Amino acid sequence: MNNSDKTQEKEKQSGLSRRDFLQKTALAGCAALAASQLDFARLLVSRVEAGELSEFEAYELMQAENMLYTVCLNCNTGCGIKVKILDGVAVKIDGNPYNPFTLNPHLPMKEDPAAIAKFDSGICPKGQAGHQGAYDSYRISKVLKRAGRRGEGKWQSVSFDQAISEIVNGGTLFSQVPGEENRQVTGLKDIFVLKDAKVFDEMGKDVAALRKKKTPEEKLAAIAEFKTKHAANLDKLIDPDHPDFGPKNNQFLYMWGRKKGGRADFAKRFNEQFGTNNTHGHTTVCQGSLYFASKALSEQYVGDTFKDGQKFYWQADQENSEYIMFVGANLFDANYGPSNRSPRITQRLVDGKLKITVLDPRFSKLASKANRWVPVKPGSDAAFANGAARWILENQRFDAKYLGNANKAAATATKETTWCNATWLVKLDKDGKPSTLLRASELGLKEKEKRTDKDGKEFDFEYLVTMQGTKPVAFDPNDEKESVVGELFVSAELDDKDGKKIKVKSGLQVLLDTVSEKSIAEYAALCGIEPSVIEEVAKEFTSYGKKACVDMHRGPAQHTNGFYNISALMSLNLLIGNFDWKGGMIVASTFNTDGTKTDKQPFNFKKITPKAPKAFGLSIIRHDAKYEESTIFDQSKYPAKRNWWPLSSDVYEEILPSCADAYPYPIKAIFSYMGAPTYSLPAGQTQIEALTNLERIPLYFASDITIGTTTLYADYIFPDLHYLERWEMQGSHPNMPVKVQPIRQPVIRSPNEIVTVFGEQQPISYEAVWLALAEKLGLAGFGPNGFGEGQPLCRPDDFYIRMVANVANDGKEPVADASTAEIELFTTSRRHLPRNVFDLARWQAIAGTNFAKVVHVLNRGGRFETQENSYKGDQVANKYGKYINLYQEKTYKCKDAFTGKHYLGMAKYMPIVDTLDRPPTELSQGYDLQMITQRDVRMTKSRTITHSYLTDSMPENAIIIHTSDAKKLGVKTGDQVRVLSATNPEGVWDLQNGTKMPMVGKVKVTETIRPGIVTFTVGHAHWATGAVDQTIDGTVIKGDARRAAGIHANAAMWVDPYLKNTCMIDKVGGSVSFYDTKIKLVRA
Amino acid sequence: MNDILVTMHEDLKQALTRKPEERRWAMLIDLRKCTACHACTIACVSENKLPPKMHYRPVYEYEQGQYPKVSRSFLPRPCMQCDKPPCVAACPTKGEATWKESKGIGAGTVPIDYAKCIGCGKCVPACPYGARTMDEGKFHTEGTPAIQRYETMPSFEYGKKRTRTGKNQPIGNARKCHFCIHRLANGMLPMCVTTCPCRANYFGDENDPNSLIAQVKKANKVQILKAGKGTAPRVYYVSNDKLETLYR
Repeated sequence: MNNSDKTQEKEKQSGLSRRDFLQKTALAGCAALAASQLDFARLLVSRVEAGELSEFEAYELMQAENMLYTVCLNCNTGCGIKVKILDGVAVKIDGNPYNPFTLNPHLPMKEDPAAIAKFDSGICPKGQAGHQGAYDSYRISKVLKRAGRRGEGKWQSVSFDQAISEIVNGGTLFSQVPGEENRQVTGLKDIFVLKDAKVFDEMGKDVAALRKKKTPEEKLAAIAEFKTKHAANLDKLIDPDHPDFGPKNNQFLYMWGRKKGGRADFAKRFNEQFGTNNTHGHTTVCQGSLYFASKALSEQYVGDTFKDGQKFYWQADQENSEYIMFVGANLFDANYGPSNRSPRITQRLVDGKLKITVLDPRFSKLASKANRWVPVKPGSDAAFANGAARWILENQRFDAKYLGNANKAAATATKETTWCNATWLVKLDKDGKPSTLLRASELGLKEKEKRTDKDGKEFDFEYLVTMQGTKPVAFDPNDEKESVVGELFVSAELDDKDGKKIKVKSGLQVLLDTVSEKSIAEYAALCGIEPSVIEEVAKEFTSYGKKACVDMHRGPAQHTNGFYNISALMSLNLLIGNFDWKGGMIVASTFNTDGTKTDKQPFNFKKITPKAPKAFGLSIIRHDAKYEESTIFDQSKYPAKRNWWPLSSDVYEEILPSCADAYPYPIKAIFSYMGAPTYSLPAGQTQIEALTNLERIPLYFASDITIGTTTLYADYIFPDLHYLERWEMQGSHPNMPVKVQPIRQPVIRSPNEIVTVFGEQQPISYEAVWLALAEKLGLAGFGPNGFGEGQPLCRPDDFYIRMVANVANDGKEPVADASTAEIELFTTSRRHLPRNVFDLARWQAIAGTNFAKVVHVLNRGGRFETQENSYKGDQVANKYGKYINLYQEKTYKCKDAFTGKHYLGMAKYMPIVDTLDRPPTELSQGYDLQMITQRDVRMTKSRTITHSYLTDSMPENAIIIHTSDAKKLGVKTGDQVRVLSATNPEGVWDLQNGTKMPMVGKVKVTETIRPGIVTFTVGHAHWATGAVDQTIDGTVIKGDARRAAGIHANAAMWVDPYLKNTCMIDKVGGSVSFYDTKIKLVRA
Repeated sequence: MNDILVTMHEDLKQALTRKPEERRWAMLIDLRKCTACHACTIACVSENKLPPKMHYRPVYEYEQGQYPKVSRSFLPRPCMQCDKPPCVAACPTKGEATWKESKGIGAGTVPIDYAKCIGCGKCVPACPYGARTMDEGKFHTEGTPAIQRYETMPSFEYGKKRTRTGKNQPIGNARKCHFCIHRLANGMLPMCVTTCPCRANYFGDENDPNSLIAQVKKANKVQILKAGKGTAPRVYYVSNDKLETLYR
């Protein structure tokens, strides 16, 4: 008997009315909880009378007035937490049971927080230790200004106002530093030069037009024309000869690491008004190629082209899946997993209701619970996927009905909410390779049409073509009325309207022919496994209908072939058409924060934000842009100096090295927020090198809570608030079927200096920096009338309380109003917060009539839909509900900036290569071990080292190596080794200023890894963040050696031999190569 | 279906309506579900304000076999709250400082009265499970610019609000897991059970056949650690491994 049966059995046996209770109240356990809470209170009274009750009632951590609900940020999962507070100090953190990331099913919002105060739910060790990050002795509370060379660790504390003023005005800011006596720094006021929205608009349009010019001559003519037309404003451009670089405003660059909603909107508000195009996130260090391959998969056919792809991805609805093949994902250590995904699968795995296969060179914790472990070679994921696809196609194990649907109407008729282009005809180029999709007008089958969109704008529409029997049929993929079903396998020659022959194949035929380029045995050899394994897994995967998934994460994505790995794996999901099905692949769903979703939301940020100029010009990372369309293409041709990213954005590894290369133009100032590219990126030392380049990065200011491994190199560090002290809209993750909006809010006082911005007192924060810069620069949309006449945006709560009110009012029904008692609890539980953080009257004034709803949401740490409303019949309630590309035309239409070759519209296994497509043969010579990385659940990259509960549990990490490799090297567990590679033969972290940190760590010998592979957990061995001494105002602050313990081997990862100042990259999807480097270990 | 945390929370309330002598607190850990996330270890450290290098409930990790036929096992080890506790026998205070409790909320556990503990440390080696550790008065934030206040705020072990500073107890005392009876008394599950993301932990009154723990115990073959020592533990395990081969 399994456990769930047991529970039911138990209820039967007990004769308790729990189940009845649940049915009556429609909600799991919760009503039962509340009711019995009363019983419990009565019981307490009787126990007191009986004299049984002792001091136990002194347990103040159970009292509702001593707890506040918010959201963890010790990893990106962002689980709901309740923070228990004594005397204003956060002393304990537990799970928030209203939040589905910590309880399954979670308690419904209608439960009274006072009644459920004693119910805690489950969170991981990082969450448990969270308050240690807030109360870290190495936090900074005042603005630090560099008093030595960048990275030298010498600082002076300066006033907030002085720092803001220096950053805005520029000048000889570092004259006290030897060598910089006369160095002039350009301030933001001289970067923020183009201010006329009309000029922005016109120049932007003209730049867009000149980018479309076909020949070099046409382009030159267009540039000349541009210069004449905009003569009055040419001084505001970075380079008038290259108008496509955009205005000087682009020379302010803002970059971030871990940032969620709310804070993202805050920065966006500033940067839109500032008019810079250079705002870049960190996605590619995480799983960029997963995001951007999914974006490519989600591009929609609009008019006559593909656009509107989403930067997102799908994951498995694991609580209902019957089979999941996890690829390079370890949800028991990472992957938005432990608190959230574990409780949804552990019992089901024990009961045999969920079977899993794990593809991973490591025998991860997940693999240890799997039905099958497949230790593939790193980077061979697409080979496995291609082999499996071949077997599925040849054995007719695909969902023919799903794949046959050519348009939305056909999908709807078969109860599908998604459809793909398996039946659409793809043209072949002269070499017989798939190219663009066939348009019906090319055959003279159906002409282009003029259509109007919902805003009344006219656009060109082209019909596409599918085959019915041997007859080409024109169709509209988005047609909701006329269902079109096409042939799955087509390889034909058609006559175009001029009688010329056109060779075509259907999308599924392209897949079949692509995967048939190699035999299953060849694919298996690439993976380093037996061919039968591919066949068996393919068979298993296709044995559970739509309740099977291929769920992938960093593993396949963080290689030079990441984009194609992901696309190839995702096509397996398409073959069984599992999207939006219960137990299939699902998407994240959130309550809206900016008030643009429904009329009932009180603060539509679009309407209460002044119109911003439309930023234009290339970004420093050249994203959303084709090299061939730029004004530098004609002079330099292939290979480009650096990559171009028509399909990806937030390419983290490109930001600082591109600044160092001034490619395509120089940057003047950088602001970084909660990011540690030097620590987190492969070959992070290249990022350090860039940051110490004063000429190319003349001004660098940062927001951080400590002097971090990257902010160590800043000119100014502004102390930020810890996540327990601030606001954010956490959002959700694709494995969460429940619609949510967890809200991070201040629950403790900040140690930061109190400053005045726009006349309002507030602790220094990320928001305060933006506000103060806006005040100084005179940016619209901030200040006493920031949200309109008499509607201030002078402090964080002005912004976020409005967002909470929007969240409360999204959807069909708003949340309930908090009762008077709840409002009282709201106030009492915040009694320790200073008025410059929490002020009841101020918050009431901001929220207006929505205040009681705001309280209802904040008393529960966000807004959460119920578990039962998350499914509708056999499908999830929160659907993707759109078209998906099996064949990617948009991808095909982009070219590799180094080789000029088309990217592949149909993914296949591609070997590991450098930017010039050269295999890393030379780099590998003499380096026999392949290094990968992994997470331990107790560490998150650069931000958990400050938590001594965690380092006490895991004082150091190790180089994990197979017994046979250890034997060859003559090392045993505990021996010290140094990590060397062809691009780091010394085996050190070059921290600049003559400091080199050896890359040395202990070996841990194991049988649980594929021979030839070594790995280490990321999080240890810091060179800042409190690990080493710093001098502030002439006083040495001694470092804590525990934070330097262990090894961080990213610096051994390959530097691209052509780029020379950046790690190896996935040219298509943007991901960095984490798992391709060959290393050797030598005794240290 | 409820999350088992909700079910056990309900069970606990039922259990508290019964007389202490009728209850039998027990813990069951299903190792098939444990993923060695160490959440229980850290949650316990935080809840009970444990100093560095003191873990009431460590999680041990094991691996067996040869590549590619390997297995990994994870084993959390709380105090077994033995019915025949060797630590009690080793204590020179003759049951004053530590004893097998028979009364009140904690009936069935092996508590320590910090006020009576003389700090001799004899109980530490007496425990075959290594469940006891001496508190040497260290702090996690020692060696950094300042000892942080959260470390010197009171804890609530054994239902007493106690500030661990200077020479205050439990500094100098032996310390161990106590099933969080300060939480049990208030209808709350032990910290480790509450926070377990894998829901590998069961806790309750095993004398109640309707309780989830009793059901799970009945439905599975359970093991105890070091059965040969005759300690009669109150902590049961469900595992695919023979635990005597892992945990020696």
